[in-house]
Amino acid sequence: MDITIYLQLMIGGILLGGIYALVAFGLSLIYGVVRILNFSHGTLVAIGGILASLAYTDLGLPPYVSGIALVLAFGLFGRLFFQFLLEPLSARTPKEAEIGVVLVTVGALLMMSDIAAFLAGPTPKNIPVRFDPIELGDLILSSTQVYALAGIILLTVALHFFLRYSWFGRAIRAVSQDAFGATISAIPGKTLHGNTFAFGCGLVAIAGVLYATMFPVDPYMGFSLTVKAFTIIILGGIGNLTGSLLAGILLGVVESLAAFLIGSEWAPGISIMLLLIILVVRPQGIFGGKPA
Amino acid sequence: MKLSRVALLGMAAAAIASISAGLASSASAAPRTDKCAGPITFGTTISATGRNSTLADRWVKMTEVFETEFNKDGGIFIKECNKSLPIKIISYDDQSTPATAVTLYERLATGDNVDFFLGPDWSAVSFAVSQVVERHKIPTVMSNASAANIWTRGLKYIFGVQSTAEGWSNNYFEMLKGLSPGPKTIFFVAQDNLLTKDVVAHFSKKAEAQGIKVIGSEVFSPELKDFTALALKLRSAKPDLIYIASYDAPALPLIQQMRQMKVKANGVHEIMTTGKLIRTLGKDAEGLSGELSWLPGTKGDYSELIERVLKASDVDVMDYLWTINRLNAYLVMMQAVERAGTLDRDKVRDVLDKGTFKSPVGPITFHEGGISDVPAFTTQVQDGKAVIVAPPSVAQKPFIYPSPSWQ
Amino acid sequence: MLMPLVFVAAAAVPFVTQSYGLAFSISLLSAFILAQSWDWLDGKAGYTNLGHFAFFGVGAYAFAILSSKGVAIYWGIAAGALAAMITALVLSFPLFRLRGNYFAFATLALLPLFEILAFNLTDITKGADGIPLSLPRQINLLYGLLLGGALAAVGVSFWLDRSRFGFALKAIRNDEQVAETSGIRIFPMKCAVFMLGSAFAGFAGAIQAWYLGYIDPPTVFGLDVALIPIAMALFGGSGLIWGPLVGVLILGTVHDLLLTHLPVLQTTAYGLLVLLIGRFLPGGLLRTKLLKKVPFLASLAQEHHDFAPSFSGDLGATPLFSPNARTENASLVLDVQGVVMRFGGNAAVNDVSLQIKPGEVIGLVGPNGSGKTTLFNCISKVYEPTSGSIVLSGQSLASKRRDEVAHLGIGRTYQNPRPFGDLTVIENIAIALMFRGRDPLHHKQALVEAGRFAEFAGIGDKLSVRADTLSLQDKKVLEFARALASAPRLLLVDEVASGLTPTEVHRFIALLRAARDQYGVTIIWVEHIFWALAEIVDRIVVLESGTKLMEGSIEEAVNNQRVQEAYFGSKGEAA
Repeated sequence: MDITIYLQLMIGGILLGGIYALVAFGLSLIYGVVRILNFSHGTLVAIGGILASLAYTDLGLPPYVSGIALVLAFGLFGRLFFQFLLEPLSARTPKEAEIGVVLVTVGALLMMSDIAAFLAGPTPKNIPVRFDPIELGDLILSSTQVYALAGIILLTVALHFFLRYSWFGRAIRAVSQDAFGATISAIPGKTLHGNTFAFGCGLVAIAGVLYATMFPVDPYMGFSLTVKAFTIIILGGIGNLTGSLLAGILLGVVESLAAFLIGSEWAPGISIMLLLIILVVRPQGIFGGKPA
Repeated sequence: MKLSRVALLGMAAAAIASISAGLASSASAAPRTDKCAGPITFGTTISATGRNSTLADRWVKMTEVFETEFNKDGGIFIKECNKSLPIKIISYDDQSTPATAVTLYERLATGDNVDFFLGPDWSAVSFAVSQVVERHKIPTVMSNASAANIWTRGLKYIFGVQSTAEGWSNNYFEMLKGLSPGPKTIFFVAQDNLLTKDVVAHFSKKAEAQGIKVIGSEVFSPELKDFTALALKLRSAKPDLIYIASYDAPALPLIQQMRQMKVKANGVHEIMTTGKLIRTLGKDAEGLSGELSWLPGTKGDYSELIERVLKASDVDVMDYLWTINRLNAYLVMMQAVERAGTLDRDKVRDVLDKGTFKSPVGPITFHEGGISDVPAFTTQVQDGKAVIVAPPSVAQKPFIYPSPSWQ
Repeated sequence: MLMPLVFVAAAAVPFVTQSYGLAFSISLLSAFILAQSWDWLDGKAGYTNLGHFAFFGVGAYAFAILSSKGVAIYWGIAAGALAAMITALVLSFPLFRLRGNYFAFATLALLPLFEILAFNLTDITKGADGIPLSLPRQINLLYGLLLGGALAAVGVSFWLDRSRFGFALKAIRNDEQVAETSGIRIFPMKCAVFMLGSAFAGFAGAIQAWYLGYIDPPTVFGLDVALIPIAMALFGGSGLIWGPLVGVLILGTVHDLLLTHLPVLQTTAYGLLVLLIGRFLPGGLLRTKLLKKVPFLASLAQEHHDFAPSFSGDLGATPLFSPNARTENASLVLDVQGVVMRFGGNAAVNDVSLQIKPGEVIGLVGPNGSGKTTLFNCISKVYEPTSGSIVLSGQSLASKRRDEVAHLGIGRTYQNPRPFGDLTVIENIAIALMFRGRDPLHHKQALVEAGRFAEFAGIGDKLSVRADTLSLQDKKVLEFARALASAPRLLLVDEVASGLTPTEVHRFIALLRAARDQYGVTIIWVEHIFWALAEIVDRIVVLESGTKLMEGSIEEAVNNQRVQEAYFGSKGEAA
């Protein structure tokens, strides 16, 4: 078979995987620190994309402007959501807290997608910014995706340094490694949890905007996106952002190759099979450290 | 905590209220006692939310407007009563879920006690509802239920107006016959969906029969976002025609990525080229051919009423491709009731079975099993606008082949 | 009680209401079977299976495939339940290697996986076309079957609350490892309850396929409907017999009302209700304090252990269990030879050997991290030793599972007490009685006998108290009673004296002495508090960094220089 075809598929997979990884970043942080399984995560991404798309088509705002606005808005939303709906649950027994989180996030999912469909319509939308494709011989790269991937890599590097060297970042890592020890060291748990949640939601906003520049978003796609994000954070190791990036890319490449070799109709099933296999064989993920 | 107590009391009250109301509403409307009193009621569900809402969400308003406008035009004249009665359409949201639709149609039958049914749409929902229809012996005209096996079960009370797979691209393939030099090869791409795969199956045969060789046939999942693999296959196959059978939303990234990957052909056809698709694709849509059930401005029976309704409810048939089928279902049912001259359900059923009815797209007759067919016009995007290119009787512009945009 | 009235009313529905009421009731019953069967795995065993709906779909497809080929309806329904059960059995093996949130993730992923399989295995499932069925639609019969299924589901719930199997699940829910060391073989139990729940879900799915007359992948595997039965169960109260029913009745009715009375945003209202319950009443509606004040509603909210029988307080004349003989077939109760336990490069236990005769009390001491608890874990097979041999009364423990080792006669307590927290004192002890290797008791008898053990240990007055509400001392006493209840030959006691007052410590020593004297139990006691050990032990074994420093009398140990160095550092002085 033609090697350029495989290269093209790999490149497509890498570009696709980068965007998957970005969707997973917020979840990785949130789950790593706060240990909350947020079912509405994917829906939030979709809403971010829808809002950015509306901002572009109706208000003429370029994505980076709406992106910044959305990061702030989502961060605030996340903080309030956590403060009033999730944090009070931690005072309950662990079992009830778990149940409460499930019900709250599922309820939020239902509400968000329904309201979004009601206000903005259920039709998929995207941000049709397009640059000319980049051609390297027989290979064609979508420049939009290349820019997005570059952005994602930059973001990962920035986040990596942030988590490593800033106080907030180190606090996050401390808590995700050892929650009890962190409280002894006077890292304020609840505020940190809330801010991490807000931070995670801010990342979700970026993910939504970038996603919408490449693929159409609609209010009902959230849940399957959440499942994919879960897959990635398990593969990459909870709380490990670089791991998530690599896992996302791996997932994208595998899906791309599978679509070509087996058939496009099986491609979405690949990520799930991968998730189940990884969970059983190596629950700490390919790149993760100790199991969570 | 105070807040939780308030919430708790509120929920307790809601719970009690909901249970008692639920029990009470089991019988909310009394059955019709006087044959000639009050409006003629029609019950239906519309997929306003859920999976299929992109195709139908505006139809709720459209149905309300239809009711108003139809009543303005005089309602239905019932010979038995020697007067005209207004209509009332009761519609619920089936959330695109067959099980919900079944419960709602049961409610319409014995809770709201409607006179007749209308709809529903979509094969899965219609399949499930058809049993309810048959059990209660309330005739209905369904719309957009194209699965062949709905109609082969010998049910007597269901009738349907839809665009079937068989009729879909007839005009397109007829038009292809007249091209010189004509296309030699064709590559089919289908969304993994009952209707779209049926269309491909049917027209693969027709293509071969016309001497166009089928050099590829691929199926993709509607969730797929990355079409690199598919685009590569298309590019290396170099077909004359690329025929895409897909709903507009899943086809969007496909066509965008085909453009990016520089997939070339003499013509690209997408069976559901909606206004939304064309707008979002922008320049990428140039040259794309497609199908359309009806275009405002085309003259036919009731077309003036339909245009009024569409305008008042802000429904663009270029975006909501399936609209005309639903409206035709309404029109057919109204005519049937009037022709029967009575509200007797069996008599109306007989009229539906044997009659021919008027519609903006032409006469509608129900074949064996209750199915009818609406032919589609072929369109092409020229200079950013969709124009009708076939059949010749309504064509606005000639079909451009080969399409320079795609070469 | 109120609830049977509900079922009587339900039975009357086909005759009393019109077909809308019937259709509505059918959707409620279907949701109820799903919710109730889901709660067996979640409420009883503590595993949240978010993909429960997948078994509904499997059942529906099995039924549809067979029916479309002409198989009779009843066989089709049975096949639906059976197919779901087999699927659950197969999936148990990978899935139950996971716990908690990971289990939830994995089961959630089952839904889209099955949907894709249904779409793509077109030869079997006809893919996106779906499977149409031309079956006679006998609504009343359908309803009757569903009602029967619902009653069976309730019956199963009652049975679980009162059966040995149910107790095993409750133990698993609280602490799997302790459940195992109490003699419960956990994997078959989890697998069994998983299969049981799936069978009911499959049954409901088969009936639904019959009812709708058509299925396709999104109808039965759709994510949009999959979480609803779970939300219903949680809404009413997971773990309570009537929780799912209450949840289904309320949410099901609310859903219907919203659809028929609200023109838009019905799902938003529904989602809001779910969210509010999660935020304010995550225990479920039935567990709210307000509800418990209303008498007949409170009866709905009884937790399982409110059904336990009461104890008279009489210790009785007969011994608690037949004492271990002083001399047994083998002269050693425990023979540990060269046991090594490595974690990565670190040897937590490094070539330790130990011989213990029946009826001895051995003290096991050493500074923190010296490997004492690890050694205990090796003996009770919580860990599999890297090398070496452990023989209990002539039986090698080499390839034995934890529950097998428990059955052979090893009981233990833990450094930080690990009672079955949400169960009462009497249930904790009763579970050990039900699952022990030697002369296990029928569960009804166990609940009675447990009282005697509690009385023996001194907590006979706290039988109905929830274990996680006990004081630290009482928890330790409970653990001792529970360990004793398994009629052990060898009792491993791990740092029981820490945190207790001297009086409490003396009380414990008296209990240990009684165990040894009256029942011939051999004891290894890990402890830091030397004076306590001195009162009862025959000899001391000292560990340091995984190796055995010395073995001998307490005086010898205390005066041994290496021991002093181990505890105090190289320049330490004798205490």
